Amino acid sequence: MKRFIKHITIFSFLALIAGEIVVRLTHAMSDIPQRTIDNYGIQKYIPNQDGYWKGGDHKWLINEMGWPGELPERFDDLILVIGDSYIENFMNPNECHQSVYLKEQIPDHNFMEAARSGVSLIEAMEIHKQLDSLQPKHTLIYVNDFDFFESIVEVKPMSDITQMSLTNNEIVYGKMKAPVSKKILYNWKLLYYFYNRFPINLSFGKEKPKKIENEKSDSSELQSKDEVFKLIDHIAANYNLEGKSLVFHPNSNQLIIEKCMAAGFDTIILDSSNDKDWTFDYDSHWTCYGHKKVAEQVSKALKDNILLN
Amino acid sequence: MLFNSLEFFVFLPIVFALYWLIGSKNIKAQNLLIAISSYVFYGWWDWRFLSLILFSSLVDYSIGRALGKTDVKAKRKTLLWISIGVNLGFLGFFKYYNFFIDSLVNSFTFFGQELSINTLNIILPVGISFYTFQTLSYTIDVYNKKLEPTKNFVGFMAFVSFFPQLVAGPIERATNLLPQFSVQRNFDYARAVDGLRQVLWGLFKKVVIADNCAKYANMIFNNHTEYNGSTLLLGAFFFAFQIYGDFSGYSDIAIGISRLFGFNLKRNFAFPYFSRDIAEFWRRWHISLSTWFRDYLYIPLGGSRGGTKMKVRNTFIIFIVSGFWHGANWTFIVWGALNAIYFLPLLLANKNRVNTNLVAEGRYLPNLKELGQMAITFFITLIAWVFFRADNVGHAIDYLGGTFNASLFSWVEIFPTTILALLALFLVIEWLGRSYEYAIENLDFMKRPVRWSFYIALIVLMFAFTGEEQEFIYFQF
Repeated sequence: MKRFIKHITIFSFLALIAGEIVVRLTHAMSDIPQRTIDNYGIQKYIPNQDGYWKGGDHKWLINEMGWPGELPERFDDLILVIGDSYIENFMNPNECHQSVYLKEQIPDHNFMEAARSGVSLIEAMEIHKQLDSLQPKHTLIYVNDFDFFESIVEVKPMSDITQMSLTNNEIVYGKMKAPVSKKILYNWKLLYYFYNRFPINLSFGKEKPKKIENEKSDSSELQSKDEVFKLIDHIAANYNLEGKSLVFHPNSNQLIIEKCMAAGFDTIILDSSNDKDWTFDYDSHWTCYGHKKVAEQVSKALKDNILLN
Repeated sequence: MLFNSLEFFVFLPIVFALYWLIGSKNIKAQNLLIAISSYVFYGWWDWRFLSLILFSSLVDYSIGRALGKTDVKAKRKTLLWISIGVNLGFLGFFKYYNFFIDSLVNSFTFFGQELSINTLNIILPVGISFYTFQTLSYTIDVYNKKLEPTKNFVGFMAFVSFFPQLVAGPIERATNLLPQFSVQRNFDYARAVDGLRQVLWGLFKKVVIADNCAKYANMIFNNHTEYNGSTLLLGAFFFAFQIYGDFSGYSDIAIGISRLFGFNLKRNFAFPYFSRDIAEFWRRWHISLSTWFRDYLYIPLGGSRGGTKMKVRNTFIIFIVSGFWHGANWTFIVWGALNAIYFLPLLLANKNRVNTNLVAEGRYLPNLKELGQMAITFFITLIAWVFFRADNVGHAIDYLGGTFNASLFSWVEIFPTTILALLALFLVIEWLGRSYEYAIENLDFMKRPVRWSFYIALIVLMFAFTGEEQEFIYFQF
């Protein structure tokens, strides 16, 4: 038995080294940028990082301000693009970012992205507050229905993102969730690979939850309507809405859109009907094609309505 | 719990360590640990169905004991039929109830009558077909006095629920496995290493071969109208290796893990795709099931002893029942019938035992005749696999119709070079190791550093070419 254990231990060690090398060489797992919490309580990335997306086809980049993508050459006539993982867009190369496509459409303006996966609407407003010093000419905040729900502690409590407590009428800033474990996991690529490839099912005796597609919301109904409307009213009362547009994902809830318009937001509503799919087969994020189409619709709205005013 | 899951990679070392810590002299404690571990393993899916295994174990243990106490023929027969009734009753209810109701309603509709019987929302307990047959083999063997009834209930529970082979076989005979729970099991370095090697090979078959083939097989089968004939044939080819890698991989893992615990399970696959005729194929494919049906159905029905009519009848019965065992769908029945049609000419011409030796024995390469025979056998099994894989018989017929037309001679529309290269490598290793229990059983000719490098290379291939995780196909049976 001793001999068996000795050999198994040595073999496992060698196999772990070999596995780590292979996972790194083949980019079997995406590199994950490290996060930090800034002085304003906003979770963003540690500046000047880069890494490969899964498969190694392209690299992602964190700029010196701690946001994904490249910074514009100049900051005059600046339009800010704020959003969640759709705008963070690690799954596409840098040339497929919103800022790049928007610059192609509106060359006389400069675009800068400030995005992080999981950003809620209230967090987007907070991010905007800290970027005010750049004196943006306009700000685009990309949202879907979940960004409203995830902004409210009472509706969907999430400790790692910034939310609004309607009960206490205060902002609850996000905390770093298991930072040490995450650091180990993201740096020990083989472990991260196993973690993703073989998800742990600790629900003894329960069936695995079935994977479900993102359900399209029914525009005539809205869950947690009172809370969502309170949130919108709070934002309208406490943040400056001037020079800000909410860019709603296709199929967003009509009641939310109408409420935002009534509260004083400029809105741009994306429409993907009568077009081929904007999203990847394996997740709901936009492909390069999707991003290009989004940028075309946004730039048209900017040119036709907003920038003219 | 899946063998290729992280939970199992935690579960197995814990059980292994506890098992050997208890010590080989304490068989009762070892058996209890196996029984408890097996129930945890199974309960990870759905604890509710543990009661079924427990009930099945209780019934067959009690009937076995009762059979041991009586020599009255009528009473013995009644006891046997109770066991058969209970076990097949459960199997029939959980697996076939809805199929029979649907078929009945459809038959009435066909003749213009309306029949209103609702199907039930029944969950199929994982592995029920496997453990039901295993426990039945015990009662039948005790009835036939081939086996003494056991008085060790914990050992019997461990036999019925033995986690390495509980959910997808091999279907063990009580005569082989049950006595192993009564003898002292000592840790044996060589056996444990051999077991681990077989587990590694099984994982490679599952993770690299089966899961990668599954991706293309699913894509082609699910969109068969969009592809030409040659691509559809390639789809069937991928499915053939998906199911082989999946099921024989599971069997290898099961046998390998059992060896870690000091048990020897029956061989379940013997390189079936190197068979020279369909009879040889069925001696090499899912051996534990085909021999079960041979011993408990075919031979009691008269086997090949009667005239031509009886041979034809029994052959059809065994193949169709075998097909039906796989699932409540007409596709499996057609698959079984098709294999019977393949097999019958050999049986009637008394040529079903021509190829009992190893193909190309003592040679590196087969001769042209052997190559042709293997190609033809593989080709006809491909046709049958289309029915096995298809959603329904119409789907299979459409698929074959789309395959066998002029477009069969056009170039394939999908050509995944990497997967085909992996399959070629796999076939070379299988061919070179075909005289052993499993392909990489004998690597002693390599020095340890080379041998370990080979194992690590297999692991590396698993990391590099891992397919999308798929559940083992045979779990549904």
